[in-house]
Amino acid sequence: MSVQLLISGVIFGLSLASIYFLISVGLSLCFGLMRIISLDQLLYYSFGAFLTYSVSTLTGSFWLGLLAGVSVGVVLALAVERLIFRRIYERELTFSMITSFGILLGGIGAIKGFWGVVPKPVPVPFDNQVSLLGTDIPLYRLLVVVLAALVYGGIWLFLNRTIIGKAIRAGIEDMEHVEGLGINAARLFTITFVLAGSLSALAGGLYAPLIMVDPHMGLEVLAFVFMVVIIGGLGSIKGTLYSSLLVGQVVSIGSLVYAPLAIMAPFAMMLLILLVRPTGLFGAALAK
Amino acid sequence: MASWRWWRGILITFGLLVAMRFFLPLPFMNEVLVFSIYTIGCNFLLGRVGFISFGQPAYLAIGAYGTAFYLFYFGTNPYLGILVGLACGVVFSFIVGLLFVRLRSDYFALVNLALAVIVFYMFQKVLAEITKGDNGLWFLTNIASTPILNLSRPSEFFMFVMILGVLIWAMYKYLDDTVFGACCLATKLNETKLEFLGYSNFKIRLTAFVIANSTTALAGCLYAIYLGFVSPEMTSPARTADPVVVTILGGVGSLLGPIVGTIAYTGLRDVASKFIGNWELFVGIILVFIMMSNSGGLYGSLEKLLQRLFGGSHEPSPGKSATAVKQ
Repeated sequence: MSVQLLISGVIFGLSLASIYFLISVGLSLCFGLMRIISLDQLLYYSFGAFLTYSVSTLTGSFWLGLLAGVSVGVVLALAVERLIFRRIYERELTFSMITSFGILLGGIGAIKGFWGVVPKPVPVPFDNQVSLLGTDIPLYRLLVVVLAALVYGGIWLFLNRTIIGKAIRAGIEDMEHVEGLGINAARLFTITFVLAGSLSALAGGLYAPLIMVDPHMGLEVLAFVFMVVIIGGLGSIKGTLYSSLLVGQVVSIGSLVYAPLAIMAPFAMMLLILLVRPTGLFGAALAK
Repeated sequence: MASWRWWRGILITFGLLVAMRFFLPLPFMNEVLVFSIYTIGCNFLLGRVGFISFGQPAYLAIGAYGTAFYLFYFGTNPYLGILVGLACGVVFSFIVGLLFVRLRSDYFALVNLALAVIVFYMFQKVLAEITKGDNGLWFLTNIASTPILNLSRPSEFFMFVMILGVLIWAMYKYLDDTVFGACCLATKLNETKLEFLGYSNFKIRLTAFVIANSTTALAGCLYAIYLGFVSPEMTSPARTADPVVVTILGGVGSLLGPIVGTIAYTGLRDVASKFIGNWELFVGIILVFIMMSNSGGLYGSLEKLLQRLFGGSHEPSPGKSATAVKQ
């Protein structure tokens, strides 16, 4: 394998990892704080991508489209949280999983109704190439990686430097104590859920120019996002970061070696890791 | 007559199904029967062992492709094909079960969903040379006619599935009566206590997992024989929720819930697809609605109605369907 192929493979893997990270960090936060598995994150991802497509073809500006996608993600997440999740936080974990899968399926149906089933291309905002060690890399892919890194930094600052963030971290440890301190748990949950939804929508919008947007895009990325969350350990943000980097590289390098490996290798890796550590790399042995 | 009491529920239900055969089209009835068998595995896992599995289509596809490979490449006897598919299902679910049943229920659900997607891509892309990818394998003409119960004819296929259905339901009802069935419930409710009683949680879960998913694989074999072709579409990520939806629609943990749920679901789907083209929207709304309304599913409501009509002579199902999801 030539060095150039390897470099472009690594960059490709990094951009994949960025997308996986943006979606799964929301899933992981929701699980850690509210003890729900929110499959509907994949819906905000799809809606973000489709809104980006519609607005950017209408106005010609990709960034306007991305903005529209993220704002619709926020509104949708807020609505779903208020109407549905608020009533089921107390319930068992599987309950939230089934309900959110229903929301995801219903949303996919709605997308099909609005936009049809034909995959649609989104133009890349700029198609410059940069040269890195003699390899041409699309600038946009690098930008995706940089943006994801910025988001990680932002989340880190938010969780460690603001009162709300600190409350969220404390809530992951022990929600009852946090409530006892007089912090409004319902508002904390809403903020976390909307944050997760907006990050998923951002991931969808950012990823849209690199793939075709189609109604099933959420389901296609679902398996990989799950692998990231499972390998990293549910509820751990650090674990999510490391495992998304790992899965991204395995998918990318694996597909260079032998194409079908791209799908099978992360799965095999997940099984191996679960055999050694049934709660993932950084997952605590949580008691429900 | 204790044995009549025992058989009553199953025989009456299947008797009603035979009666429905005269009013409703045969393909619909065949679909209902096979789909009920497909769902009862999921129902058993969710209602008895407390495992939620979004990965059922994976096991369905393993069974279906096992049968399809046999009929497409090797032989012609449909009964042997079913046996081959079932054997594939047992072996596959045993291997997978060894890895999966140790996991906590949240990880179990996620891993199963991932498995379904992987199996989909495996049949669609990785093994495309032998599975013919998206085109699927067509082997309707390869199925030889057999002297008794010729499976290539829909009406005789119906009779065969009917007999099989009675046997499967009797098996699951029998399981509820055994110590093993009690252990399954115990491992769902309090695994520490069960451990202290001297049972192995791992073995019980593994056995339950293999039984349930072999049933699902058997449904896959039946699909393969009945349709005469298989394609990766049957395990596509959009369909992973089907058995879970039907289980919850029918009533979790109730023995006859899968049949009631399937009739409602298949019927609604056929009616709805005439009016609205995209049907995920419809399934999603039903699923959210049932979850939010917090009922014991259709069978739970039906059971209450029957009890009121017949003065409580109807025996209640052991799972207490209404509380099964909430635990």
